[in-house]
Amino acid sequence: MKKPEKLIENGKRLDGRVPDEMRPLKIEAGILERADGSAYVELGANKVLAAVYGPREMHPRHRQQPDTAVLRCRYNMAPFSVDERKRPGPDRRSVEISKVTREALESVLFLELYPRSVIDVFIEVLQADAGTRTAGINAASVALADAGVPMRDMVSSIAVGKIDDTIVLDLTKDEDQWGTTDMPIAMVPRKKLVTLLQMDGHFTKEEFGQALGLAFKACEQIYGIQRQALREKYAIKQEK
Amino acid sequence: MLYVQNRELVVPGQLIAEGSYNVREGAFREGKQVYASVVGLAELRGQDIRIIPLQGRYIPKPGDVVIGVVVDSYYSGWILDINSPYTGNLFVSDLLRRKVDLVREDISQYLSMGDVVVAMVKDVNERMRVQLEAGEPGMGRVKGGKLVEISPAKVPRVIGRKGSMLNTLQDVGECKLRVGQNGRIMIWGKNPRMINAVVEALLMIEREAHISGLTDRVHLMLEKIKSEGGE
Amino acid sequence: MYEIVSSVRRDYIADLAREGKRIDTRTMDQFREVSVEVGPIKSAQGSALVKVGKTQVVAGIKVEHAEPFPDKPDNGMLVVNAELLPLASPTFEPGRPSENAIELARVVDRGIRESNAIDLDKLVIKSGEDVWAVFIDIYVLDHDGNLIDASALAAIAALLNAKPPEDEAWTLPEFPIQKRPVAVTVAKINSKLMIDPCLDEEGVMDARITIATIEDGSICAVQKGGIGCFSREELEQAYEMARAEGAELRAKLG
Repeated sequence: MKKPEKLIENGKRLDGRVPDEMRPLKIEAGILERADGSAYVELGANKVLAAVYGPREMHPRHRQQPDTAVLRCRYNMAPFSVDERKRPGPDRRSVEISKVTREALESVLFLELYPRSVIDVFIEVLQADAGTRTAGINAASVALADAGVPMRDMVSSIAVGKIDDTIVLDLTKDEDQWGTTDMPIAMVPRKKLVTLLQMDGHFTKEEFGQALGLAFKACEQIYGIQRQALREKYAIKQEK
Repeated sequence: MLYVQNRELVVPGQLIAEGSYNVREGAFREGKQVYASVVGLAELRGQDIRIIPLQGRYIPKPGDVVIGVVVDSYYSGWILDINSPYTGNLFVSDLLRRKVDLVREDISQYLSMGDVVVAMVKDVNERMRVQLEAGEPGMGRVKGGKLVEISPAKVPRVIGRKGSMLNTLQDVGECKLRVGQNGRIMIWGKNPRMINAVVEALLMIEREAHISGLTDRVHLMLEKIKSEGGE
Repeated sequence: MYEIVSSVRRDYIADLAREGKRIDTRTMDQFREVSVEVGPIKSAQGSALVKVGKTQVVAGIKVEHAEPFPDKPDNGMLVVNAELLPLASPTFEPGRPSENAIELARVVDRGIRESNAIDLDKLVIKSGEDVWAVFIDIYVLDHDGNLIDASALAAIAALLNAKPPEDEAWTLPEFPIQKRPVAVTVAKINSKLMIDPCLDEEGVMDARITIATIEDGSICAVQKGGIGCFSREELEQAYEMARAEGAELRAKLG
């Protein structure tokens, strides 16, 4: 695709959204049989699965921590998730995303309850359209709750950016490619504390503030959808 | 000040109450506020707040009866997988309930790899090292039968109020059951068809633990299979 | 890591087998419920999500330019890769493909390659220089046994769903699929044969045999696994089971 002349026309973006509009978000909890907890997230054209195993015995043993559980995260993209086939296995990008994802999630977990154990979070991107790490964090957070891992709160995540000098929420791949700025963010919604923040591009002071405002509002909305996904799986249903 | 009803479904981070309550399992306090830390049902009894979890691994505590599988042995005992992040240690003296002269006696005659053992959690230290004992009547190595694994959080539903569900499973299902707190259940019976019916019932309990009228549905299902007869 | 199969479970499954019964109440020649959803992944040229009981496998197709092998200047290329994702089982670990993952990929590859399911002769752009490479990536999402049959079915379903690449070098009217190989696995427990082993049965089985057949019922690939053995009669019986079930599975490809 060639760069369109305008990314926003008459207040509408390429896919018809207004600047502060998130793509449709669908979250389903508990969709895998073997995993202790799992979730499936669709954010626009992103399709992401997360699974949690644990707390379980840590191997190798010398990596056990005597007074706490260890959290491990692995973010991975399917070879067919992007236009040009991605070679299987970790690359520098996925290693970095795995690290910041782990750090985004770790502060909400009561890891000290499970000495010597490990909690594994696996995130698999099946179809990618920008914002996969945010979709992955939203999925991982629901999967952790679905696994019964005690948490202080959920973690909700979304990207904000700048295209055509306008601050927009939740960029698509085209917007990310042709826009000037991308800023993924994750937060603990109840306390409004940021646990992940990355940015590349350019923001003025005012734009940065505006972008944070959009992201905080969207995370509130995502938080509601995450809780709803858990309620739907566990709600007491009346006998038919 | 309470923000949820008794038995209401709550999710992690949800505000449960404000004030001087006793905070038990599945909840935590931040200042005056009490929040849920797991998905579960809020249990509000007097000043006590606890969340009964609907998911999660088995974490051993003293006094629990568990069903373990022998995964390794050492000079004076065995290591058992107890369907938990932590394995259990069983000393040969805690299996036989007597002193054992390890020089004279070959302990491999008592348990082998893969054996299933009914045991009780004797002690758990702060590093979560678990000691088991299996010397009481009805404990020790399991012979025959069928082993089923369900989510440990669903074990209270398998037992039911005052053991009502367990009675239904045993009486109508014509089987004998041994339920481990760690989600492992042994079933013994004469009729393989009824053993399978009880397995089906256990999976139904796991699947539909949160749907009302469960005991009646289990009863009906078992009665129906029983009335169809045959093996 | 390995799955612990307790002695009690092993005995129970083996005793049932002797009576011609199975742990999940299926008959010996009964496959679990199978569903095939084609095209769930839009970023792939073709894709399919296959469920066999609780086992879930997704396959995605990518078609890209490649330099041909020197000894096959006039053939397109086929690359099959399988990932036993750590989210699919507590026994799968991240890292380099395990021998199980490589065997899985190679068995699926053989069924497709040897049946000439894809007409690779047609996938040449410039002899000796530029050909089409067809990548089949198999992604195991949930492992409840019999990954081979689920993966092979997902692969052929994804191929049948594949759209030509948006590339001016592509001149064929459609994606050249000419055969529909389907793999069926038969397990042997306590001298009894049973089709489509579930995870519990895989943990106990003495041996397995996978037979891939095409439309006319002929064989295009076989893989025996496990340390046990098969007699000639058992092999013939397994083939008969695989042939009959293969036709059923093929019908699910639409």
